[in-house]
Amino acid sequence: MQKYSKEKSDADCKAIVNKIIPFSNVDGPGNRLVVFFQGCNARCIYCHNPETMGYCQRCFKCIEVCPQKALSCLNGKVEHNESLCISCDACIRVCPHHASPRTKIMGVDELYEEIKAYSPYIRGVTVSGGEPLLNYNFVIKLFKKIKRESGLSCFVDTNGFFDKREMDKLIEITDKFMLDIKSVDKVRELCGIESKDSIDNLKYLLKQDKVFEVRTVIVDEMDAEATVSKVAFLLKDYQDVNYKLIRVHTTGLNESRKERIKHKIPNNEKMEQIRALALEKGAKKVECIL
Amino acid sequence: MKSTLHDIVNTAVSSKLTCQQKLFNLANIAERLVDPEEVLGYSEKETEYIEKGMICDLNEGYAIYRPRYIVPDYMSFLKHGCKFLDIRPPEDLDELLDNLLIFYHHVPSITSFPVFIGPLDLMIDPFINDEKYDYIKIKRFLNHIDKTITDSFCHADIGPKATNAGKMILKAIVELENPTPNMTLRYDPDLTDPDFAQKAAAACLKVSKPSFSNEKMYRKEMGEHEIVSCYNALPSAGGAYTLPRLRLGTIAQGTSSLDELLNQRIPDVSETMLSMMDKRIKFLVEKSNFFESSFLVSEGFIKRENFTAMFGIVGLAEAVNHILYKEKKDEHFGMSSYGDDIAHKIMRKIQSIVNNHKGIYVERTNNRYLLHGQVGANLSHEDYSNTPAHRVPVGDEPSLPKHIKQAGQFHKYFESGTGDLFAFDQTYTDKPEAILDIINGAMDTGYRYITTYLENTDLIRVTGYLIKKSEAQKVADGKVVLRDTAIMGEGTNQNAKVFKRKIRR
Repeated sequence: MQKYSKEKSDADCKAIVNKIIPFSNVDGPGNRLVVFFQGCNARCIYCHNPETMGYCQRCFKCIEVCPQKALSCLNGKVEHNESLCISCDACIRVCPHHASPRTKIMGVDELYEEIKAYSPYIRGVTVSGGEPLLNYNFVIKLFKKIKRESGLSCFVDTNGFFDKREMDKLIEITDKFMLDIKSVDKVRELCGIESKDSIDNLKYLLKQDKVFEVRTVIVDEMDAEATVSKVAFLLKDYQDVNYKLIRVHTTGLNESRKERIKHKIPNNEKMEQIRALALEKGAKKVECIL
Repeated sequence: MKSTLHDIVNTAVSSKLTCQQKLFNLANIAERLVDPEEVLGYSEKETEYIEKGMICDLNEGYAIYRPRYIVPDYMSFLKHGCKFLDIRPPEDLDELLDNLLIFYHHVPSITSFPVFIGPLDLMIDPFINDEKYDYIKIKRFLNHIDKTITDSFCHADIGPKATNAGKMILKAIVELENPTPNMTLRYDPDLTDPDFAQKAAAACLKVSKPSFSNEKMYRKEMGEHEIVSCYNALPSAGGAYTLPRLRLGTIAQGTSSLDELLNQRIPDVSETMLSMMDKRIKFLVEKSNFFESSFLVSEGFIKRENFTAMFGIVGLAEAVNHILYKEKKDEHFGMSSYGDDIAHKIMRKIQSIVNNHKGIYVERTNNRYLLHGQVGANLSHEDYSNTPAHRVPVGDEPSLPKHIKQAGQFHKYFESGTGDLFAFDQTYTDKPEAILDIINGAMDTGYRYITTYLENTDLIRVTGYLIKKSEAQKVADGKVVLRDTAIMGEGTNQNAKVFKRKIRR
């Protein structure tokens, strides 16, 4: 289980960034810049970007498989040459640690400069990953800088598995959260961890009017109905919050994960039933992503 | 370029042109049969540069009889009617639409069809009584335009303010999916209701119109203006006499350094083209009798004093790439900040030459001709190697965010218009607010004109005008098609691979 980063000074505060997508319309309202941080405290069986889960353990297996020789060993670390990279993903496929050599360690100022370059065209910034709250101090500093210097909104896309006692400052500075509620009873089976914080966190954030959207991935033979009922019931007093029901898929999964998922993909009728259940329990803005 | 007698017979027997297209082409051939040195006083150098492909006159013709672009004052037509056509001011929507259709028939241009059909929503809105029935009439009117003005350089404006008529027009153009008329929302975030702007952005994704013009910027620079033809900004109740263009890619060939290009070749060719423009305008104003005989002038729908002229360029990318190659840089225009610097140097040079030239009969624009980022056209093999305006060649584009930033920096030079267009994928269909965020950013960073479209649509904007891909494919297969612009679009496609634009992710 990942530990949260300790408080660091601004200058020392760095984070491993997996990717930046300057223009996204699916990570919050409007056009947004999205920062994907490396590292996650969950191991969801259906994760479509598992290369964001782990950290490089310097086994150097990726260096051998790169067809462009874009990877090398420098000072005991893997060095990635972006100009040679053709994004074939061979390195990611061979990594046994759910990591990626194409990450970049960035400071707050450096990341802000990238955001600033696109600021005329975006409505805000969303942090995602992996699990961005593993870097919550970095995110607080980043959001503070964004708010000081621009009018951009700051959203967090999180798996909901965090200790809210540690997150006061972050919650305060964040405009809105997009929260996963993976499951009520099958968290260990689906996500490989024990945490059940996410429903409590949802309640807490709802009370503070800090929730933009909730997502649940619907998987057959799990507790989709129980989870959706619980969330929809909580949302009945918060009719502006979007509830997205996402059908599980196998895109981006390796073979062993595909095997575990491929017989658990709900059909259209099931998805419609789940949606009807959510509406019945009180949620208003329910959307099925098929 | 001069035509030949051979062109006449070739046109007459073509299996790929409608009768109307043949008629127009024959007229154009006739205009170009006469010797420009004799009729207009072109020098040998001017003719030579056209024949060499460095200057392209877009086959405008030498026996000039009308201005290239005519931008009538339609509000005056609504208010006063037209004596020449025996039309009185309309009293209801039926009369308005009928009057306009009649009037359009008598507004010429370089294409023989009107390039501006008015601020449609402003004209129509006061006549709306019953939205349900009036919508049917508006839709029928728009379809009539598409099937009779068979050239999608024909342009209608809406905005900046939202109106009921504007909303109905947006609904109709999505339902009709016609290439004509081309359309622009004159967008001002301070005046345009965001909901209306989003509706327009959503329509643009589906049917590639309306595009968005920077109303604030054009109003500040030109005052009263309209958006016409591809994306030209021209003075209201006026227009433009002529629009030749420099093929910068061709011009750069044979130069061995940026210094030679900037200080010898560009000044030489630019001055030659300016001189050519002077001669064309002089003939049009002093000899053609257009302004003396046209009812459009005598009844005040246009005034000679409101005309300007356009100094066009294409192939900025190729000129830059030529210099990058000469300097042994492994970089291409579009993804090279050094390349951008070179482009700015070229544009500043051209701008300074054009601004220092005292134009004739262009009082409306401070006695200067206006720079224009011209769209490609298939008139010679040289057009294969001259990308439209300031644009990045198809295939060389960086990702959308980088591309938007790169392209916007050059819009400032082109006071009579330039534009960029970007393809988006299906995720944007339900997210017009995201498109609007991008458009707002573009306007803030100096864009004059921006279009978005979905990669999967049949209808797309091809370097500034609209065609149906299915029609363009028919041209490629040798079949006759309705619209002149479909023929041109296919030519441009073969030159500039415009149907293969990058999808933005």
